[in-house]
Amino acid sequence: MATPKEMMTTWDKIQPGAVLPSFEDPEKKIRSKFNSYNYKVADWRVEKPVFNRDLCIDCDFCWVSCPDSCFIVEEVVNKRGKKQAKIVGINYNLCKGCAVCVDVCPTPIKSLLMFPEFVDNDEALKQWPTKDNK
Amino acid sequence: MLQIRWHSRAGQGAVTGAKALADVMARTGKYVQAYSVYGAEKRGAPMTAYDKIDDKPILDHSKWMTPDYVLVIDPSLVFQEEIVDNTTDDTIFIVTSHMDKDDLLSIAKHLQGKKVYVIDAIKISQEEIGRAIPNTPMLGAFIKVSGIIPFEDFLTSIEDILSKFPRKIIDGNLRAIKRAYEEVK
Amino acid sequence: MAERYELKQKEVWDGNMAASHALRQAQVDVVAAYPITPSTPIVQNYAQFLADGYVDGEFVMVESEHSAMSACVGAAAAGGRVATATSSQGYALMVEVLYQASGMRLPIVMTVVNRALASPLNIHGDHGDLYLGRDAGWIHLIANNPQEAYDMTLCAFKIAEDERVRLPVTTNQDGFLVSHTAQVVEPLQDEVAYKFIGDYKPMNPMLDTKNPVTYGAQTEEEWHFEFKASQHKALMESPVVIDEVFEAFEKLTGRKYNRVETYKLDDAEIALVIMGSAYETAMVAVDKAREEGIKVGLLMPRTFRPFPYNEIAEKLKNVKAIAALDRNAPMGAMGALYNEVSGALAANGQSAIMTNYIYGLGGRDITAEHILEVIKETEKNAKAGKRVTDLQGFINLRGPKLSFN
Ligand code: SF4
Ligand code: SF4
Repeated sequence: MATPKEMMTTWDKIQPGAVLPSFEDPEKKIRSKFNSYNYKVADWRVEKPVFNRDLCIDCDFCWVSCPDSCFIVEEVVNKRGKKQAKIVGINYNLCKGCAVCVDVCPTPIKSLLMFPEFVDNDEALKQWPTKDNK
Repeated sequence: MLQIRWHSRAGQGAVTGAKALADVMARTGKYVQAYSVYGAEKRGAPMTAYDKIDDKPILDHSKWMTPDYVLVIDPSLVFQEEIVDNTTDDTIFIVTSHMDKDDLLSIAKHLQGKKVYVIDAIKISQEEIGRAIPNTPMLGAFIKVSGIIPFEDFLTSIEDILSKFPRKIIDGNLRAIKRAYEEVK
Repeated sequence: MAERYELKQKEVWDGNMAASHALRQAQVDVVAAYPITPSTPIVQNYAQFLADGYVDGEFVMVESEHSAMSACVGAAAAGGRVATATSSQGYALMVEVLYQASGMRLPIVMTVVNRALASPLNIHGDHGDLYLGRDAGWIHLIANNPQEAYDMTLCAFKIAEDERVRLPVTTNQDGFLVSHTAQVVEPLQDEVAYKFIGDYKPMNPMLDTKNPVTYGAQTEEEWHFEFKASQHKALMESPVVIDEVFEAFEKLTGRKYNRVETYKLDDAEIALVIMGSAYETAMVAVDKAREEGIKVGLLMPRTFRPFPYNEIAEKLKNVKAIAALDRNAPMGAMGALYNEVSGALAANGQSAIMTNYIYGLGGRDITAEHILEVIKETEKNAKAGKRVTDLQGFINLRGPKLSFN
């Protein structure tokens, strides 16, 4: 993807050593223009992963494995009062549909499955395999 | 400039000896260079080490020299003709040998007509230090022959230079140096 | 806290020991190294200092020089003062990462003991490795004796870490001729040396986890040129800082260094350009030549990079003939010093007669007598007003005369 015109800095304004900050404002978590989070690569996806919260065991395999950091995480407190990360969804602006997350998901019935792009997520969840027909 | 060339076998301590002498002389305000010439050889290969001593900073970094003194610390190298390379009639040789000077010169013909002193640095180091490391006794002989600095000053400096070693080793070396100082002929 | 090392006013150190003490006094955070002759004693001495409590930082033994420089890059990016040492084949193995270090603007200091590059294998001194790293984006400082090896290493930290520079620096000393030659060195006391260098100031450290940064970004054709141009500019403008550091060092020690060193050049009609320990041997030759009435002087770039081309041209503007002596196999060209000095003269409209000599490869001895011969040949060119000697000659080479024109 070509660099957006407004980012074409000249040599005299460039970051020395190409050391690029992730955040413009780390306190407020405002991402810098260099952050790849701003590069959307979803347009060419033909299949998408759908996430099934009911089956997920929060092992975070998908979160670690996803090459585009698509998994959205929420901080929750578990039964024992400990802080824990909970997977709550997928950022479809970043997801390129590679299916790596589906591959690594360890639950007996996958908590992640690929569906055609045009299938609605609610519809996809209804089509989810059960124990008998997985 | 005073120029000294050591002939030794790798592992006999010529480099250490040359550096120690340079250190001693530097403490008297002299400028020094101590270096050695060797390849990637094994222990036991013949090698040379050098000292240059002068009143002004030494700029010449070439290895070549016409030595004022040639110190041979290995008894077998005495018989190699290379030890007289680039020497003059005034060059003084101090060589390690168990032979006396006349017997030695009758075999080592290249040393005939040269100014030769003999010291059995191997035997002295074996008896006093417990190992055949003939470098420090050679220094004792050199100080005697050259008279370059008072012997007491030399002993003070060398004791300090050796101070990183255990007391036993230091004492052995000092005894060896004193014996060589007395015995060199 | 690291213990203070008792130093005499005058020590007898070889170049390796001198470099080790400078690294110790800089209190480097991370030294990552893989030993190679003739620079082995630098890291060996350093490890001994660490074991004896004279160093607080980390010493990382790695499995190759590529890893050594990689670990240095990582540690410097993390935000620490970093140094290493190498020679020859080890340097060659590092080359890929040398470019990374300079591209990321990491102020790493590397004490290089210059040695020939194989094949055939040779452990002795020449400038093969230095010339190999010439375009790697580092500042290259030259030391001609153990005192200078010590002084340049202290200066290297201060130059590299200056926020106007932030580039890696090598200090170069000739293998064995300096590295293994013990001479009188007047060191600074630990606290004085450290104060001269100053505390390390991290810039964009990766260990600042609150403000994450990317090192080693990919830039492609839309970006790469701009980054490289700005990196080159930093190197080209580093002389301002180098001069300041040399000046501060002179104030502290009385020892004066210049980006371009000269000897008896003011009234000279011919000049030799020569770098490394042979520069000092050449001083002896110049003195002899002057006794014979030949007006000859010497010049040496103390900074091989950034190459002080305008200053060199200025200093050589009154000489009629110049011999550039390279201690490196030129392999299909004139030696680098010949090319660069010629370029410097051409850029300033000067036209002294230039010749090139190759010498000292793999530790081959070069004596004052050899250099005196070069001086006499160069004088012939000056007298004739044109080049009458060979363009490229070889000093102290066995066999029939070899030359190129
Ligand atoms: S399909 Fe690929 S890109 Fe999309 S969420 Fe899964 S692993 Fe990430
Ligand atoms: S890999 Fe599967 S089970 Fe593990 S967190 Fe991701 S969706 Fe949940």
